[in-house]
Amino acid sequence: MPYLGSEDTVRELRRALSNPNVQSDHLRYRNTILKVIRAMSQGVDVSGLFSEMVKACATVDVVQKKLVYVFLCSYASLNPELSLLVINTLRKDCQDPNPMVRSLALRNMTNLRLPSLVEYVEQPLTAGLRDRAACVRRVAVLGWAKLHNLQPNSDIDAAVVNELYSLLRDPDPVVMVNCLRALEEILKEEGGVAINKPIAHHLLNRLKECDVWGQCEALKVLQRYRPQSEDELFDILSLLDPSLLSPHPPVMAATVSLFLSLCSGLPAVSLSALERVRGPLLAACGSASREMRFAALCHIQLLLRSLPGLMGAHYKRFFCGYAEPAYIKQRKMQVLVELVNDDNVALVLDELKGYCTDVNTDTAQAAISAIGRIGRSYSDRCLEILTGLLGLKQEHITSAVVQTVRDLVWVCPQCSDAVCLALEGCEETLQDSQGRQALLWLLGVYGERVSSAPYVLEVFIDGVRSEVSLGVKTELLTATMRLFLCRPAETQDMLGRLLHYCIEEETDMCVRDQALLYYRLLHCGIEETRKVLQGRRSDPSLGVLIGRPAEPVSQWARSFNTLEPLRQDAAETDSASGGSAEPVTSDPKPNTDLSDTLNPSQVEMVHTEGASLCPESSADFLASAAGVPLSLSLSPALSPEEFERLWLRRQGLHAERGGEEKEEEEDCVCVEERVHCPAPPRCSPQSLQAALQLVNIQALAFTPPHTLPWRVYLYTHTTHTHSHANAPRTTLILGELLYTGEAKESKGRVKKEADDGEDAGEGAMEGKEEEKEGEEVTDDRLSERETEGGEREEEEVKVTLKQQPRDEEALKAFLSILATVLQTLSSERA
Amino acid sequence: MIGGLFIYNHKGEVLISRVYRDDIGRNAVDAFRVNVIHARQQVRSPVTNIARTSFFHVKRSNIWLAAVTKQNVNAAMVFEFLYKMCDVMTAYFGKISEENIKNNFVLIYELLDEILDFGYPQNSETGALKTFITQQGIKSQTKEEQSQITSQVTGQIGWRREGIKYRRNELFLDVLESVNLLMSPQGQVLSAHVSGRVVMKSYLSGMPECKFGMNDKIVIDKQGKGGSTEEAGKSGKQSIAIDDCTFHQCVRLSKFDSERSISFIPPDGDYELMRYRTTKDIILPFRVIPLVREVGRTKLEVKVVIKSNFKNSLLAQKIEVRIPTPLNTSGVQVICMKGKAKYKASENAIVWKIKRMAGMKESQISAEIELLPTNDKKKWARPPISMNFEVPFAPSGLKVRYLKVFEPKLNYSDHDVIKWVRYIGRSGIYETRC
Repeated sequence: MPYLGSEDTVRELRRALSNPNVQSDHLRYRNTILKVIRAMSQGVDVSGLFSEMVKACATVDVVQKKLVYVFLCSYASLNPELSLLVINTLRKDCQDPNPMVRSLALRNMTNLRLPSLVEYVEQPLTAGLRDRAACVRRVAVLGWAKLHNLQPNSDIDAAVVNELYSLLRDPDPVVMVNCLRALEEILKEEGGVAINKPIAHHLLNRLKECDVWGQCEALKVLQRYRPQSEDELFDILSLLDPSLLSPHPPVMAATVSLFLSLCSGLPAVSLSALERVRGPLLAACGSASREMRFAALCHIQLLLRSLPGLMGAHYKRFFCGYAEPAYIKQRKMQVLVELVNDDNVALVLDELKGYCTDVNTDTAQAAISAIGRIGRSYSDRCLEILTGLLGLKQEHITSAVVQTVRDLVWVCPQCSDAVCLALEGCEETLQDSQGRQALLWLLGVYGERVSSAPYVLEVFIDGVRSEVSLGVKTELLTATMRLFLCRPAETQDMLGRLLHYCIEEETDMCVRDQALLYYRLLHCGIEETRKVLQGRRSDPSLGVLIGRPAEPVSQWARSFNTLEPLRQDAAETDSASGGSAEPVTSDPKPNTDLSDTLNPSQVEMVHTEGASLCPESSADFLASAAGVPLSLSLSPALSPEEFERLWLRRQGLHAERGGEEKEEEEDCVCVEERVHCPAPPRCSPQSLQAALQLVNIQALAFTPPHTLPWRVYLYTHTTHTHSHANAPRTTLILGELLYTGEAKESKGRVKKEADDGEDAGEGAMEGKEEEKEGEEVTDDRLSERETEGGEREEEEVKVTLKQQPRDEEALKAFLSILATVLQTLSSERA
Repeated sequence: MIGGLFIYNHKGEVLISRVYRDDIGRNAVDAFRVNVIHARQQVRSPVTNIARTSFFHVKRSNIWLAAVTKQNVNAAMVFEFLYKMCDVMTAYFGKISEENIKNNFVLIYELLDEILDFGYPQNSETGALKTFITQQGIKSQTKEEQSQITSQVTGQIGWRREGIKYRRNELFLDVLESVNLLMSPQGQVLSAHVSGRVVMKSYLSGMPECKFGMNDKIVIDKQGKGGSTEEAGKSGKQSIAIDDCTFHQCVRLSKFDSERSISFIPPDGDYELMRYRTTKDIILPFRVIPLVREVGRTKLEVKVVIKSNFKNSLLAQKIEVRIPTPLNTSGVQVICMKGKAKYKASENAIVWKIKRMAGMKESQISAEIELLPTNDKKKWARPPISMNFEVPFAPSGLKVRYLKVFEPKLNYSDHDVIKWVRYIGRSGIYETRC
């Protein structure tokens, strides 16, 4: 903000500064300098006074010195030559008997930030390191860091580094911590301070002397230390234990972070540390300052990824106060969603319902989508609330509800009836494009069940000329097309009008292209159109498992106590790459029966006779499972949406594949196999889930038990080292277990359909169909077989696996693990 | 690793800017103003990221304080630092306001210089800072003071200087608590906690050693084991469970951890000895019973009863009940038995003020609110009824049992010290839903 008349001000100040009368009077001189600083902070350019101010620097008055230094540090970079004049005064000050003057001079010398002055600064800095006053040493130590920052490429003086290392033993804790900081900066390229055993122990012992900031710093540096023995590790942990409960949230968080890095090999210890830290974290959540509350909430969200049950009993702590800022409310709701269980669901929903009418629209919408998330497991109660909210006829609420309902129906198709009923009449209140898009999608997909659907669409089509949102237009096109397929008589006329408008008058290319596409599609005949538009729908009998698998702590440990958890979308995306989780490793004891099941040379069918027929205890099977060392892990986690996308893409590839694209096909494979095990269809999802998780396989969706066909979708990541290649290979395996209720004679068939066989995919599919039709013997003989086991006719679960990238050995090993799990389950039941 | 610190007024004008590191450019100051202060919407998050620079901001009355960094720092620490900065500034010039900041900007620059060096927090204790800061008493330092700095900086006790002398040794101890409550319309406590502070003002000569005792449950239980069972039963009732507490750096934490005794050498003048929080057995000084009845579409009847729930010899003061009204209120008729009640259209609330109220009493207000008919079908969100008050006791039940002073070198004993103890319980966020 340059002042008008700033030149006058500067001229006046200059006159005053060079007036000998002023200079001789202490107080007047000081006041004039004060005026200069005031002008400076108001934005007046007073750089022209530099030389006068340099002169004012030579004084015995400490106050005046400080004022002048403030000025010099701001303008030194503009006047490098004149700054040379200051150096002399500063160097003289470094000899002053008063430690305060010495430290002041030293600090400002390094704050000038002029590379040309470095040679003059080094000597006083070296002297400062050996000063007897601690406050000078503090400044000198950091001074070296500043110096290094000025010339990052210059060589590091080994003597200085040694001196700094020795100053780690300084009696003053701040000097010690500053040494750590300086060394971290100077040795950045070498990875920071070398933390060996003596240094680590020294730091740990002196931790108590430091203030909050020092403790945080030391704890952070200590993260790099790896104790040599288990005893040492536990000694350190017990030493750190009190600071785990520190009343200062930064210290507490830094300690947790250190715990996690020290115990990265001992998950049980780090989990119990997290349990201990629950109290302080909750306290931070209730602290008086909202920013700290926010930071604590974000970190709790992080913890819940691994320990979903950690805060279960304390859910009331996450109820929002009326006056809390929106960002805290939204985080609290996200936490509440994670904490819902059978006991508290009523209370939590009641609470969330209250937030839906919040004054802040963002908060209200967040509350509605939180209810939607809970709706995945408690759909009836949530739908009741959501439909109730529609009655308020509030624009932003209706919009959020419709969007939430759209997402909910996608996951829980069983609630589509209630949704269809609720949709009536909400088009009047919807204003924003997001909400209208959601409504159109719902009308398109469930058009046959919403009686008023064509009329609603007609209103939209009549107003399409004035529609501004592209998203709404494209969604409208799709919805009308879909509705046309199920209710042609009512829709034909308006579809014609819409297509005509979009093709003839619409200016946007995207909309026009889509309209043209639909138009040409209709020319190809109704069947073709149906195939394109009515894609697969979720099977209404499938329930998605909501509980995300508990992630291993190591997944997020590195981002604990940094900025990352505070970013809005950080919680969603997994940053850690590669499976650093605790994998289940199966020993490389060769299993002759299975080793050739998936031999790449046999493309058609392979018998797996007896391979999976020896039920053993789960401990044994791991040892006998695979021919290669294989480890499974659940990270990075896959969301149901991603799974669906990947699964369907694979399917699509098979269907559309021609013979040409061979190079692409190398990296994925699809396998079908039958595994004998009678019990799974009748065991509860929980026990199957638990059994699968034991070996790090994650089940994503289940049909309820005792329904036919019974299905389970699952996935895992495999890692194993190839015998011929050194680098470990990781693959992703998606799988479907299907039990149709048929008994079968033949023991097992593997259909391996590798992608490099051109039409193998379709062939296999057809084969499967035939097989199903061929086997009419569908009498349920479960009860007999349970007692007999083994060699008899067995029911089989069909396993379809998809792997990417392709890795036969891993797939084979995985199959054997899966088979054994299923076997074990059934043998336990029997 | 704070790269810079900026202070803005509510208009976004920069009052103070101090850059510690080269990686923070001059445009960072403007980026924050444009993206946060001038942004139309509400603050999305206390950490804002602009062009790979993170701005941690805290607002105190009209003033924004922003710490800027380019590194992935420890968020809790930066916030804690900002609070500390606010505390230090308040200790020097009182309330943080535009006026005060403008008048004290040299002092603030000086403070910023001492507290942070190269972006690393150095010395943040108000007492210890006082010897470094020249602005307060504008006088050059005497020899004596210079030697104090040396001893102060090298010695173990950073918060107290030696050679303090008073004619009268006095100690003031305030237990300040704020009680927070969220209650459902049916009278169910949804959440309640007390956050309290023990604030002291000490005017003691020499280097006294103090010992502070309160009715902490853990201590009392421990003592009860040694003493007679009768005593334990008696005191056990009155003891309180402290969820968590923080101390001033002068308190010997090792002693607290091992024996749970609070012993310390106090700083001179004002300081906060401890801060604590309790959630169990809270005495809720007031109970608010709301009754809202909608009579047709244009009328609302509200009746609110407040009951005081403490000894009838005590007096609560500055009681204020705030009953929110809908936005389309056209007129309000209020009848209250006690105090004054007024409808404040600008705040959309009926404010009912009572100067004093004794314990175990009851008072009520009833109001008829007339509404303008609107075609806006928006449901009124019914904000909670909030309450403010001040009571002369500690709602957590905390009691000071003793405060002993020992000074072995000078000849005054515990009995010569005049001690004052005061309890004040205030309302924090004290809300009842209706």
